[in-house]
Amino acid sequence: MRNRRKKSPWPYLLISPSLLALGLILCYPIYKLITLSFEKYGLSEIIAGKGTFVGLQNFTDTFTDPEFWTILERTLFFTGGMVLVSVVVGAWLAHLMLNMSPILRNILNGVLILVWAMPQLVSISVWRWMFSFNFSIVTAVINSLGFEMDNHNYFVNTFSGFLIIGGCVAWGALPFITISIYAALTQVPKELLEAAEIDGANSRQVFRTIIFPILLPVYIIIISLSVIWDFQVFSHIWIFLDSRPSAEYYTMAIYAFQKSFGLSEYGMGAAISLIMILTLITITGYYLRQMMKMGSE
Amino acid sequence: MRKSSSFFSNVSGVIAIILMGFPVYWMITTSFKPKSDILSTNPSLIPHSFSLSNYTQAVTKEGFIQALLNSLIVVFFTVVISMFVALFASIAVARMKFRGKQIYIASILIVQMLPLSALLIPLYLLLSKLQLTDKLGGVVLTYIAFVLPFVIWTLRGFLINIPVELEEAGLVDGCTRPQVYRKILFPLMAPGLVATSVFAFIQAWNEFLLAYILLSSQDKATMPIWLAGFTNRFGTDWGPLMAASTLTALPVVIFFSLIQNKIATGVTAGAVKG
Repeated sequence: MRNRRKKSPWPYLLISPSLLALGLILCYPIYKLITLSFEKYGLSEIIAGKGTFVGLQNFTDTFTDPEFWTILERTLFFTGGMVLVSVVVGAWLAHLMLNMSPILRNILNGVLILVWAMPQLVSISVWRWMFSFNFSIVTAVINSLGFEMDNHNYFVNTFSGFLIIGGCVAWGALPFITISIYAALTQVPKELLEAAEIDGANSRQVFRTIIFPILLPVYIIIISLSVIWDFQVFSHIWIFLDSRPSAEYYTMAIYAFQKSFGLSEYGMGAAISLIMILTLITITGYYLRQMMKMGSE
Repeated sequence: MRKSSSFFSNVSGVIAIILMGFPVYWMITTSFKPKSDILSTNPSLIPHSFSLSNYTQAVTKEGFIQALLNSLIVVFFTVVISMFVALFASIAVARMKFRGKQIYIASILIVQMLPLSALLIPLYLLLSKLQLTDKLGGVVLTYIAFVLPFVIWTLRGFLINIPVELEEAGLVDGCTRPQVYRKILFPLMAPGLVATSVFAFIQAWNEFLLAYILLSSQDKATMPIWLAGFTNRFGTDWGPLMAASTLTALPVVIFFSLIQNKIATGVTAGAVKG
């Protein structure tokens, strides 16, 4: 039956609309990004509709710019911190949920879903309000504990600024992480755990030989997705700092954006964006291979 | 192995509920406070008085109706078109064998991981060349492309779980292939279609960055853009902003609570069964 249909045009007809959309909006821009990164593409080139080929100029300019290395390092630290905190806390919460009373578990689940559903701009607005300059509830709580810090601007200091922005990102990401790990934990077959217990395995052995191997693929997916999401955080930084972040708040995404849409150096911006993508591919290469394997099943 | 709930877990659970839930609580309570309570340097955790003035102010703020309308248009077309396109593709991927299938699946999975912020520049240049910047159509086009990989992949997951034998039985009994799809496959896929279309709805409703880059004139603003407009160089109008945020989040919360089970398991199920 299957063999008979092998030559049928149907599958190609069925996938062609999606190929068209993905090709136009995702694949062509990738190609365009690569060619742009080798071109000088400023205002005059936009008007002419054509860039001038400059070879590796954009890349050498970027790599010799000391600011670039500071920004890359900052982005990696920021990403690493957010991924670490959100995955560790999420995993911890998921394990706690297993041992919680059912009522609490349901409430926590409900709260997580509520947070998960918050649109990005809504959660940013609320966090900005919680840490606002004049009427911050967080400042009020800190003051009520006996500290003196009225009208504290949390964003003068980049450390506390990034802490708050990262907190907002992690808060938004925790529900997905927690619920996914919890879902995976509940899929660990009870029979296996019972069998292990009868065979005299202690809880650490059970974790290492049964739970961990089952959870590993889930962790790989979650960590990789977190890296991808957190590395390209843009809106949070942009909105928290009133659409004009100072240079100390530049991450790769903001840097590329400023170069292109701020300074109209689209070629430079493209080169930086390409470096972002290559960095991400290097970090998440393992995940990619894993997904390929799943796809080929 | 798993006995009754432990004291430690329960205490941590309560703390987690409070910490995770607080921003949402604070948004909602702020939205119902009168201005005098909001502009207080000593805000109280429990609201004392109740007022709807923030909501009337938010709803009568310039551009609300237009933004709501724009968002609904964008969401509607994104959902309808992407569901049709994805349904076709997922049938091909889950039910048929064809040359290049693996490459197709692999590219869908890879494309899903592309960082959006890195693609802004070429996307913007491409759409301005097509004269689609500052048009809702351009935004819809990009949203479709960005939700497609996930929707195709998830629908494929739902389809694979429906036994082929059912369709084959239909064919044996004399149904044509379109009849098999209409009478057997689609009804069985209904939960999956609902879940993924709500997912597309949420994505299109929530998206900020692309809309921010592609739409420049005020009468094209979507809800997130409108929300960002509460902050100008004179500062932020916190009370109405919280009311507007609550209103923006409301439809998503309702839809999300309907589908979250299916999406959460959909994302990870394949990995666990690996």
